[in-house]
Amino acid sequence: MSSVFFSKFSNDMFRVNYMDMKKAIIGALLVLLPFIAFSQAASPKVSDLWESAGELYSKGNFSEALAQYQEIEKSGHTSEPLLYNIANCYFKEKQWGKSILYYERALKLNPGSNDTQNNLKLAKEFAIDKIEELPEFILRTWIRDVNYMLSSNEWTYISLLFFALTALLLLNFRYGPSSAVRKISFFASMFSLLVGIILTLFAWSQRSSYNRRDTAIVMMPVSTVRSSPDGSGNTLFILHEGTKVEMIEQLGSWKRIELADGRQGWIPAGDLEVI
Amino acid sequence: MINYLDKIKNSGVTRRLFLILGSFIAGVSLSAQTSLKVDAPRVVESGESFQVVFSVNAEPSSFNLPSITDFDLLAGPSQSRMSSTQIINGKRSESISISYTYVLAPRSEGKFTIPSATVVVDGKSYSSSPVTIEVVKGDGSAKSSESAQTATTVSSDDLFLKISLSKGRVVKGEHLIATVKLYTKVPIAGFEDVRFPSFNGFWSQEIDTPQNIEFVRESIDGKIYNSALLRRYMLLPQQSGTLTIDAAEMICQVQIRSAGGASRSLFDDFFDSYSTVRKRVSSTAVRVVVDPLPQGAPASFQGGVGEFTMNAKLSRDSINANEALSLIVNISGTGNINLIEAPKIAFPAGFEVYDTKISDNSSKGSRGATGSKQFEYPIIPRGPGEYTIPKVEFSFYDIAKKRYITLFSDDLNLKVGRDAGGGSVSQPGLSLGVNRQAVRSITEDIRYIHSGASRLKKGNLFFFASLFYFFAILMIISLYIFTEKILSKRVERNRDIAGVKNRRANKVARARLKNAETLLKQGIYMGFYEELHRALLGYVSDKLNLSLADLSRDKIREELVFKKVDFGQIEELLYLLEQCEYARYAPDPGGGEMDKNYTKAISLISEMEL
Repeated sequence: MSSVFFSKFSNDMFRVNYMDMKKAIIGALLVLLPFIAFSQAASPKVSDLWESAGELYSKGNFSEALAQYQEIEKSGHTSEPLLYNIANCYFKEKQWGKSILYYERALKLNPGSNDTQNNLKLAKEFAIDKIEELPEFILRTWIRDVNYMLSSNEWTYISLLFFALTALLLLNFRYGPSSAVRKISFFASMFSLLVGIILTLFAWSQRSSYNRRDTAIVMMPVSTVRSSPDGSGNTLFILHEGTKVEMIEQLGSWKRIELADGRQGWIPAGDLEVI
Repeated sequence: MINYLDKIKNSGVTRRLFLILGSFIAGVSLSAQTSLKVDAPRVVESGESFQVVFSVNAEPSSFNLPSITDFDLLAGPSQSRMSSTQIINGKRSESISISYTYVLAPRSEGKFTIPSATVVVDGKSYSSSPVTIEVVKGDGSAKSSESAQTATTVSSDDLFLKISLSKGRVVKGEHLIATVKLYTKVPIAGFEDVRFPSFNGFWSQEIDTPQNIEFVRESIDGKIYNSALLRRYMLLPQQSGTLTIDAAEMICQVQIRSAGGASRSLFDDFFDSYSTVRKRVSSTAVRVVVDPLPQGAPASFQGGVGEFTMNAKLSRDSINANEALSLIVNISGTGNINLIEAPKIAFPAGFEVYDTKISDNSSKGSRGATGSKQFEYPIIPRGPGEYTIPKVEFSFYDIAKKRYITLFSDDLNLKVGRDAGGGSVSQPGLSLGVNRQAVRSITEDIRYIHSGASRLKKGNLFFFASLFYFFAILMIISLYIFTEKILSKRVERNRDIAGVKNRRANKVARARLKNAETLLKQGIYMGFYEELHRALLGYVSDKLNLSLADLSRDKIREELVFKKVDFGQIEELLYLLEQCEYARYAPDPGGGEMDKNYTKAISLISEMEL
């Protein structure tokens, strides 16, 4: 008697559940759609500039192409392709320092970009200073490599998908047809929540490293690094155009910097350009 | 030697030198070839008397002397004869020289020619070449040469070195000839400490290095000097700009008459009247303007300047793999041919190329280097096939046309057959199959710009932590809560419906069996079963929508099975109906039989109702 009762009940329940979930998914997609395509289209003038600059570059007229790209940049628009293209123009114009600066900026927006990494490596061949980087904990490198496989925005979209999946699995856990299904649903939902949180952390760390702006490129052909933030300090070492430094603090028009090999010193702020 | 002696003998100024040396070396050797020579100064001063000597080194049968019309014949022709006999290691040789000497004086200034003389020796006739003599005005030094020799000092006017260049302005790589000459009016006994210029900025080569110093009369600014060629160089400028050739230097031993008193005897005069003075002479530095080669040199230009032709050929047209052949490029012409480098040839991949063998067959002269240069490229093709060696390209700068010229050879085709030896391949592991190679990067360049979607955006570039992001998170949470609410409500309601149905089914059953219940309480056995039977049949007829008349056991079973009522319930119902029918004719068995059947009927109806 009770089995008849239960089977009738659960049949009913499943039908209701399934229909509601379908509705929920469609609803979620409808709501998310504008966010997935959330980057607003650039104004026609800017996209014209983009097209013509690309054409100029293909004809080998790098300086004019650069001027047009810079105009786009001045209008307040930014994107990883724009920064990458500007860097390419600088490279072709043999302005290695600027080229490295823009490749680094493009990398900040999308650290996983293969093209940018490749070109940055080539541009760095022209930088005079060769700095031995301190070895890093291997796990850190691995995590960073995984993190930099996709850009911040891509991680964010994927994390949202995982959160939605977590919600669905939780619903299944609550109203699942059998206890086995419910059990599996619970663990799956916890796992998906964990993945979502990790991906969110990836997205967050990329964004925060972009916003931190604590690295800079030396733009002067020769720049003296001193032991104190004034012109009278002892000369510690000399940096050349294109070298990447980390900025620690600022005092007046002097910046305290640290090289990748751990050496520190003070450099005139005007010699640097922040990435 | 003869030539040298004759030159000195006729130089006039160095006659003393001849007197000293002549007695020792006269007739030491004579050439066996019969020849007729004429000796005359090239330059004379007007009023000066000079000698013209025709000499033949054999006994002539007849001698035809030219008629000299442009000069005054002062004396001659006087014949002199010289013969010598030599015995060296028992070998005897004789030589003879017969000379006819004219003493002439010029009539006027200008250039005059002494026609050729003819001599017949052993029936064969020989003739001398005509000689041109220039008569200059002169300062009388030649005439009073004796007095010049008496000077006790030597001025720089009397003795100097000079470097003369064939061209003062050249392009880089164009040849020029530098001649170092000594000019003197005084007798010279010898040289010391000769220093020639180092020719910085030039590639230099001596093209004329006389073994003997020969003095020739030459007029410079109307003055007559005895000049001697010391060195001649071919120079190839290696850099552009104004290049300076530094001075040549030497120390001359000049013979001057010692300033003796009047008491000198004849013997003094003969033996001791001359002393040797060392005099340092140097030339002035000379400048050469070297123009750079014009812009726009072809890629294959390697510094060749002049005029050249080129041909290239393979030593064989067909060959087996792993056999050697060579590509021979021959460049010939005039110019700095000795500095030409091997043309660069892009051999096809799979050719092993060895060091180029260069052979230079050029000779240097006053026209620069002339001749040919051969480049031999030894090659070994490693794989069979038909190969085309690209055109050999050679560029040079043509001085006359003032432009670059590029020469091309024909395409060189080579058929390479299979390796005949079969196994002398350099890679022992790869005797079969193709020679695999890694893809080599020619140059590295940055990757091309992104030309697709610009993805340009203003303001915040990150979706993460943007307003939309939080909105999306909120959306997910609220959708979850919303769905959860709906679902839980549904479940709740479903649970209610079951309860209501249950209650209603009980109610129906109780209503149907209401009469039966009262009869049960009154204990009326027959009435109870009658009522129960009627109620059950009524219920079934209502449930199945059939009239009471149509109801039979089989019909009820059939319809209920069709309605998917539980099999046990059907059997129970039918059993109950049967019990009711039996009870009408059978006495009451007593006990709780009536109660039992009543509750059974109620539960049956309730369950079937759901």
